[in-house]
Amino acid sequence: MSARRGGFRLYLGFALLAGLHFYVRPRIFDGRAAPDFLLLALMLVAVRSRPGIAAVAGFLVGLVTDVLTPASFGAGALAHTVVGYLAAWGRAVFFPDNVLVNAGLFAGGLWLRNAIMLFASGTPSGQLVPGLLIWSPLQALSSAAAGIVLLLLFRDWFAIRLET
Amino acid sequence: MIRAPGRGTSRSDSLPLLVCLLLSVGAIALPKRWSLALANGLRETALLPLLWVQERAAEDRTGRARFQAVQSERDSAALAAQSLGTLQAENERLRGLLGLRARTRFATVPAEVLHQAVPTDGRTLLLGVGRGTGIRPGDAVISPEGLVGLLISAGAQTAVAMTWAHPDFRVSAVTEDGSVLGIVAPSLVVDASEAFLEFRGVAYRDTVATGTLVLTSGLGGTFPKGLPVGRVAGVRREELGWERIYRLTPLANPGHVAHVLVVRAPAAPEPGQ
Repeated sequence: MSARRGGFRLYLGFALLAGLHFYVRPRIFDGRAAPDFLLLALMLVAVRSRPGIAAVAGFLVGLVTDVLTPASFGAGALAHTVVGYLAAWGRAVFFPDNVLVNAGLFAGGLWLRNAIMLFASGTPSGQLVPGLLIWSPLQALSSAAAGIVLLLLFRDWFAIRLET
Repeated sequence: MIRAPGRGTSRSDSLPLLVCLLLSVGAIALPKRWSLALANGLRETALLPLLWVQERAAEDRTGRARFQAVQSERDSAALAAQSLGTLQAENERLRGLLGLRARTRFATVPAEVLHQAVPTDGRTLLLGVGRGTGIRPGDAVISPEGLVGLLISAGAQTAVAMTWAHPDFRVSAVTEDGSVLGIVAPSLVVDASEAFLEFRGVAYRDTVATGTLVLTSGLGGTFPKGLPVGRVAGVRREELGWERIYRLTPLANPGHVAHVLVVRAPAAPEPGQ
């Protein structure tokens, strides 16, 4: 596969994720436990790039979420920057070429993102507990499941190696 | 612990991280007015195509899933409207007898709610309606169940509403019979398993029964009078013998609402009118 064709498929993969996030999710999964395809896109960038690039990608994704949900502007950028960097760093240190490890990475990344966002946006403690212990784990599970399905179906598009 | 060969972190990775962290913290520290303007600018330009797609998705979902519910609501509304003419005529006659001026009528603008997959969604809502319809920041946002919040920003294509779940939200409210006034605010307590409201500032001598409906009072001019806010679910606490704070179960759930109505404030009268 040529580099040009690989790059085209990668962009197509991210366009697919954007389509899933902005069209399929609102139509089918809309709710607090719905999978976050933007975060999955960030994680897929993070596992195939250096931590610095992943941090910048996280900042941009976070900025998008802040613009769409300006409850506390900047909290999303902060959370996604940290998650992007840590995901890429984790990938650099360990070998997450396993389906379950990737699922754990997606779920952990989403839960951490939500935790940072909730703290950074000054969430009242009454809303913090259900947010951290109920809704975030549910969303982490749904996102991990969606991420694994995407990886299994389109791993060539995202140039991700998986041990089978 | 297995270390991947040839990949690691270096100073060239730390610099972008630090810059992004500083920018994020700077964004958090931005004054609310600036951050809303910045968000509005980005929504109206770079993110417009994506929001257009999401709006179509919300419309398509409505067409499929909510058609029967809307039809049923329409039938109920039509039934209720049959006796409305007589009631209106009677009301106008009584107002005439008492010398009251005509009740202010508010126009409403329907809007799709574009939910986002982040945990702070529900404190603010992105609405698929813009300034072109006459909406302005400060307009009330309601759902069929009751008050949802108020607009804090209105762009050309989209608007942002602050809901009652936002820590900064306040509304002047009154019980259904008009006997007890207070301020409704979101609860910030630790032991809550779900978001609820507080009916604050109720004088110690006043007692509000559980189940009482609480409506907007219209004081302050931001919210029209008579919008349902919630139902009293018991006494939350008492403050030093001069105030009772009641727990209020909100009627509208911003996390689940798919459509809202923006209540357009009436235009200010011209000088001399």
